[in-house]
Amino acid sequence: MNQLKPRENGYQSRIRTNVIRLFRWNGAWGAATALMAFGPKFLWNKALVFTLLAVGLDVAVGVGMILANKNYLAELDELQRKVQLNSMGITLGVGLIAGVPLSVMDAYHVIPFHADIAYLLILTSLTFAVSNLYGTWRYR
Amino acid sequence: MKNRLKVLRAERDWTQAQLADALDVSRQTINAIETGKFDPSLPLAFRAARLFALRIEEIFHDPALDKDRRSLAT
Repeated sequence: MNQLKPRENGYQSRIRTNVIRLFRWNGAWGAATALMAFGPKFLWNKALVFTLLAVGLDVAVGVGMILANKNYLAELDELQRKVQLNSMGITLGVGLIAGVPLSVMDAYHVIPFHADIAYLLILTSLTFAVSNLYGTWRYR
Repeated sequence: MKNRLKVLRAERDWTQAQLADALDVSRQTINAIETGKFDPSLPLAFRAARLFALRIEEIFHDPALDKDRRSLAT
């Protein structure tokens, strides 16, 4: 019986590192977005320079988050990448299918509320989470 | 595609997690391949063949190919 030796920096260990890195970047982006959204009103009394700096910080941290996500996806194995790709495809489709009519209905006052971008963000986040869970369950 | 991964793993008394670690994939991927829910890529199939010191076709085989061969023989 030839026993297998555990790898030094195996798949699970690399994924764990990348997930932690991705969470940190997501958290940093959330904080930078909050600073950009609420800072002008509550922290620097709408001073233009600070607002522009906050926007620049938000974009820079956002780029870092995208790169962290890209690295995370690149490290995934083929099945996990397939699950992620399916989830992203479904999310993109739902975002378009729901987003465009919502915008049109808002423009023609069909709906009694303003079609805020936040609604679309919530919908796409939920869609991604559900399709990801489904993919994981399907290949469990 | 059918495969003998589960049998080969059991013969060596390896767990799914150990095989997954050796092939540098997740345990979920090994389980999905063993249950026929997912077909591995050619590089992963080669890695499995190298690990078990077998040829790819000794681990993975396509039932449709067997059917084609049978119909050609008759």
